[in-house]
Amino acid sequence: MLWIGFVAATILFVAIVGGLLYVLHRYRAERGSEPRQVTGGRGIQLRVGAALGLFAAVLLVLGILYTGDARETPPTGPAGLQAAGPDSEPLKIETTGQQWLWRYDYPNDAFSYYKLVVPVDTAVELDLVSTDVVHTWDVPALSGKRDAVPGKTNHVSFRADEEGTYRGQAATLSGEAYAAMRTEVEVVSPQEYEDFIEATKEDIQTAQDRVVSLIESGETP
Amino acid sequence: MSAPARNPELVVAGFPRTRPRWMQIATSADHKDLGRVLIASALGFLFIALVELLLMRLQLVVPENSFLTPVTFNRMLSLYGATAIFLFAVPLALGFFYYVAPLQIGARGTALPQLGQIGTWLFVAGGAVLYAGFLFTPSEAGVNPLPPLSGFAFLPNNGVDAWAAATGLATLGFVLIAIDLVATLRRLRAPGMAWRRLPIFSWATAIGSWLLLTIGPVMLAAIAMLLIDRNYDGIFFAGDSGGSPLLWQHLSWIFYTGSYMLVLIFALGAIAEIVPALARKPLFNRGAVIGSLIAIAVVGTLAWMQNMLTAPIGLGWMYFAMVMSLALIVPFGLVFFNLIATLAGGAAQMRAPLLFASGAIVAIALGLVSELNHSMVALGWRLQHTVDSTAATHFALLGGAVFGGFAALHWWFPKMTGRAMGETLARFSFWTMLVGALVAFVPLMLAGTEQGQVIDAYKFFDGTGVNGYNLIATIGAFILAAGILMTLANAILSRSSGTAAGHDPWHGDSLEWFALSPPEPHNFDLQPDVRSPRPMRDIRDAIAHRDTPESQPARESQPVA
Repeated sequence: MLWIGFVAATILFVAIVGGLLYVLHRYRAERGSEPRQVTGGRGIQLRVGAALGLFAAVLLVLGILYTGDARETPPTGPAGLQAAGPDSEPLKIETTGQQWLWRYDYPNDAFSYYKLVVPVDTAVELDLVSTDVVHTWDVPALSGKRDAVPGKTNHVSFRADEEGTYRGQAATLSGEAYAAMRTEVEVVSPQEYEDFIEATKEDIQTAQDRVVSLIESGETP
Repeated sequence: MSAPARNPELVVAGFPRTRPRWMQIATSADHKDLGRVLIASALGFLFIALVELLLMRLQLVVPENSFLTPVTFNRMLSLYGATAIFLFAVPLALGFFYYVAPLQIGARGTALPQLGQIGTWLFVAGGAVLYAGFLFTPSEAGVNPLPPLSGFAFLPNNGVDAWAAATGLATLGFVLIAIDLVATLRRLRAPGMAWRRLPIFSWATAIGSWLLLTIGPVMLAAIAMLLIDRNYDGIFFAGDSGGSPLLWQHLSWIFYTGSYMLVLIFALGAIAEIVPALARKPLFNRGAVIGSLIAIAVVGTLAWMQNMLTAPIGLGWMYFAMVMSLALIVPFGLVFFNLIATLAGGAAQMRAPLLFASGAIVAIALGLVSELNHSMVALGWRLQHTVDSTAATHFALLGGAVFGGFAALHWWFPKMTGRAMGETLARFSFWTMLVGALVAFVPLMLAGTEQGQVIDAYKFFDGTGVNGYNLIATIGAFILAAGILMTLANAILSRSSGTAAGHDPWHGDSLEWFALSPPEPHNFDLQPDVRSPRPMRDIRDAIAHRDTPESQPARESQPVA
């Protein structure tokens, strides 16, 4: 559907510039014709205005239809994570923007920085929040952008149909290291996703135990 | 010497100048002196903005370049944004409004000259404050300093305060000038200069001034809130204690969108003066153009949320923004249609103003049709915050303020100085600028739409498919800058050594061509009596038939003002 906007833009641009170049070429003074002292009446203005209005109205309808499409994430398919099945809620992942990293909190207490791991063919909804300044989450191959604004929750959802790695970059100036604030979405099979969650939870637990033991034994890192 | 004049105002012309020129300008409350201050400072700031643009483009010439540090890049970006909008585009438009409109309506001055004087120097002070920021630290918060990044917690140095003070002073100045213009256009029109006879550029002045009276205070309020937040523990934009960062976005975008429309209204108003005169044909339909300019001011500003489609606002608001943006197709389309229809059947002399006017139409059209893509909500989610939006904004504002501004400069330069700008240099400048603008910003459109290269970033990464685009864009920016410098040089050189232009070099229809070039301080010895929308043509006809004054029909009634 992206092309509709570009087609409309091209039509308008070609009409304006083409018309301009034509009249500049055809009616230049060197041709020596006497200028016709005519002006246009209301009728032609109304007709041109109505045509332009119709053009705008068609674009508006297409824009609303396309936006409706883009907002609707397809439900989880047969190859997806069945816990987030077609009849249940999408897989919700809390996504936190902070200078200059993205943090992803999965439903079962696992979390990751920079890299988001999601199961293939599964409806995923990111709840975007920010702990500091405004950030914009953007992975062009998966979905449109949304801002993470402090004090408000924004949402972006998508379903990745193919396994693989998708790259993205934050898209609102957020300070010094803004251009380095990248992210990566790794789309894996549901089994690999479950394994990743388990492994991450174990890693987090190990790290937590280690910190506690260090503090208790007096060897604070 | 002749006998004492009966009308004391006529004597002013002959008085010798007693003060040095600079002091006369610095203390003058004359709209022509102040207009020249506005235009000259704006063109000076255009030069500074160009330097900043080129430095940023040099940093972005190859991936992961280290020509500028990230902090320096962000400072350049912030200075560039403030300079381009607050110190170049808006004051340039206002400068021409302020210089030309009182002449066009046959007034002897403005209604509230001291207000315009304060406004002009407040703007100059704003520019000085912004660049005095170099003495400590410029802002790092970007073109539009969104809170919380622009809050004290994240940028505790004085940069954002300097930005806020500078843009605040300039905006306050714009509002004061707009008040003067509104009052002047309301009160000081020459006898017979009814609104229906007002020249199109004076209509643009009226519309632009009312627009500034609407959006200027909004920005002033936002800037005051930002200063309170930063310095007095305010919570206007603090998301966690009752305020909202989105409040700043709404208020600032109302101003930025409105001033974008202001610049386009200025350019289209000037073009609608230039095209009929150089095609030797009246404007195809004055009413439609005036109505369209009013619609652009109102509907265009109401589309401010077009810039916030990725923010957490309701879908209804996004559709509201889309309706307003798409509705703009009608008034912009009608203006373009009327300009083209004016040229059709005419005898266009391709002089420099018409050349720049045509370039302005091309650039504005390219910018606007790209913006149209951005305003279709789901497309906006993809295209906004990419360098495609940088390119779209630059095309529209290059078309409005640079090509349109240069068209106006070439057009009214003979009136301001008595000398014409060089045509050959103008031609070289125009073609260089047009090529430069296309080479600089079309690759960015492709990088944004194809690869999603993000906006405002101090570097990009190898392997993201945008290396070539950015290299070409940098080359284009240098070509563009060379073209702009040619016109700036042309203006400086022509002030002293241009060919004498006379009082009516273009055979224009409006009354500024009735004044001397440059006009006397009181504009007109004799305030003309206006009987049609083309008073200067009437005066030329009257002069041609001067030998038979009895043949002129007596006016039957007092004209309706």
